[in-house]
Amino acid sequence: MTQHEAENPLAVRPQPRLLRALTIVSALGFAGTLVLGLFVAGTDIQQGQVQRIFYIHMPSFFGAFTAFGATVLGGIIYLWRGSEAWDRIALAGVEVGLAFALINLLTGSIWARPIWNTWWTWDPRLTSAAVMCLTYAAYLMLRAGIENPQRRRSLMSVYGIFAFISVLLTLFIIRIVPDTIHPVIVGASPQNAQGAFEATSGVVVALLPSLLLWLTLMPITLMWHRYRLALRQEAVDALKLKLLGA
Amino acid sequence: MRCAKRNTILLLALLLTFAAWTSAQDEAPYYQSADFNVPIIAGWQNQSANEAAQFHKPAASATIRAAMATGADAEAAAAADLASWLGLAELTAPVYRGKVNLADGTWHVLARDIDAQRSVSQVARQAGDRFIVISFLESDPSSRIVMLAIAQADETLETAEPEMDSALEQLTGLRLDNLTAAQARALPGGEWLVYQSETALVAGSLFGNDSYIALQEGTAGDLAALADAWRGTLLGFFITPDNSPYLWLGITVSLLILAALAGSFAWRARALQKDLAMIEQLEKADAR
Repeated sequence: MTQHEAENPLAVRPQPRLLRALTIVSALGFAGTLVLGLFVAGTDIQQGQVQRIFYIHMPSFFGAFTAFGATVLGGIIYLWRGSEAWDRIALAGVEVGLAFALINLLTGSIWARPIWNTWWTWDPRLTSAAVMCLTYAAYLMLRAGIENPQRRRSLMSVYGIFAFISVLLTLFIIRIVPDTIHPVIVGASPQNAQGAFEATSGVVVALLPSLLLWLTLMPITLMWHRYRLALRQEAVDALKLKLLGA
Repeated sequence: MRCAKRNTILLLALLLTFAAWTSAQDEAPYYQSADFNVPIIAGWQNQSANEAAQFHKPAASATIRAAMATGADAEAAAAADLASWLGLAELTAPVYRGKVNLADGTWHVLARDIDAQRSVSQVARQAGDRFIVISFLESDPSSRIVMLAIAQADETLETAEPEMDSALEQLTGLRLDNLTAAQARALPGGEWLVYQSETALVAGSLFGNDSYIALQEGTAGDLAALADAWRGTLLGFFITPDNSPYLWLGITVSLLILAALAGSFAWRARALQKDLAMIEQLEKADAR
């Protein structure tokens, strides 16, 4: 351990056993759900093999939902208590959530190509999902552009809370705007939905574990890693300031 | 604690077993072969085997079959399928030849009398390097049935009557005017108009811009129901698309995004470690 590592335990705190275990379980779980989706669930006879993308596409949205939800929670508690730890959680939620939202958006587009015969269409659900991604990408850009740490944390907490409207909009838009071709798996599908399929037990066997994994383990594990990185970044920044001050 | 863990694992295993079992119990309403899918016709005997879908209605001496066949063209493939199915060495020339464009491609429509007792109506279209052939076989010696699909001559009309008239004239020499009043039959596939005389029966139904016509000479039966089952097979037939490259693309993209996220964490952590080492060096230099 170096002198600074000894002085700044925050910067080098070893990875907790729980995080290591979560990382291994998440990785194995991800591989397991892929096996379920690819080899255990039956092939949709109308859509063909590409329907299996659904086992990533839908859970990844709910993973993003968890992560962006953590950003809201982090923002509220930061504004209430002023605890920096909750600001780190909010930031971690945005980075992880954005990655998941991109997976959701891109896998949807790839599925649409053979099923809808187009990579993209300005359908209400697709448009709101794209707006959601852009909203959170803007969060990261804006955050990087604010120098004052106190101001940055406060402003981004407010932004993170309001940005969640785009997530809720994406989730509920197909119930609000009936003019959509996006299929609805839970509940009645709009009449003009293209590429819907029944969530039979064969689908559920692959979907349920995947949904649980993406909803809980994956965002929590990745956000924890990102939180530790933010902690380390702050410690190094503090050292740099100290050095400059000296 | 250990007992709780064991119970949890046991419960999960039971749930998975149950889910897999219920999954196996899901009965698809389709006959599925490696090449195609056709709806299973309710009320007909399912005799499907050897990569051919086959449904039989003993009361009407009717059989509907879907199979893949090879041949130089659609007509040759239809003839080859019929010859191998019924074990025929020679076939008579078709009494009707036509074409109809459906959502999944152009289907060749053929009808022929096999012998004095049997007649067959077939539709065939190319599927890759082979042809899919859907046949309707009638083997009642007291009647002759022909099933046709004809593109509407006038798409503004909302009736199949003009095509019923032309098909009737071409195959029996009768005109629709010679037959008695029309009767509407509501069946699962749609509404059918039925015209009748003492010797002939014609049923017609419009779907999209195509007229589906069934003609029967001799003993009258429930022609509209047979025609509805035949049309249901033709319109319900589909080939599962081969789009696995898109699946692999989706998985690759997902893995790349996750790898990029995890990689960026590692890369940034490493950069911070370097910063830390540099700060240490600078401090040491300052101390000197």
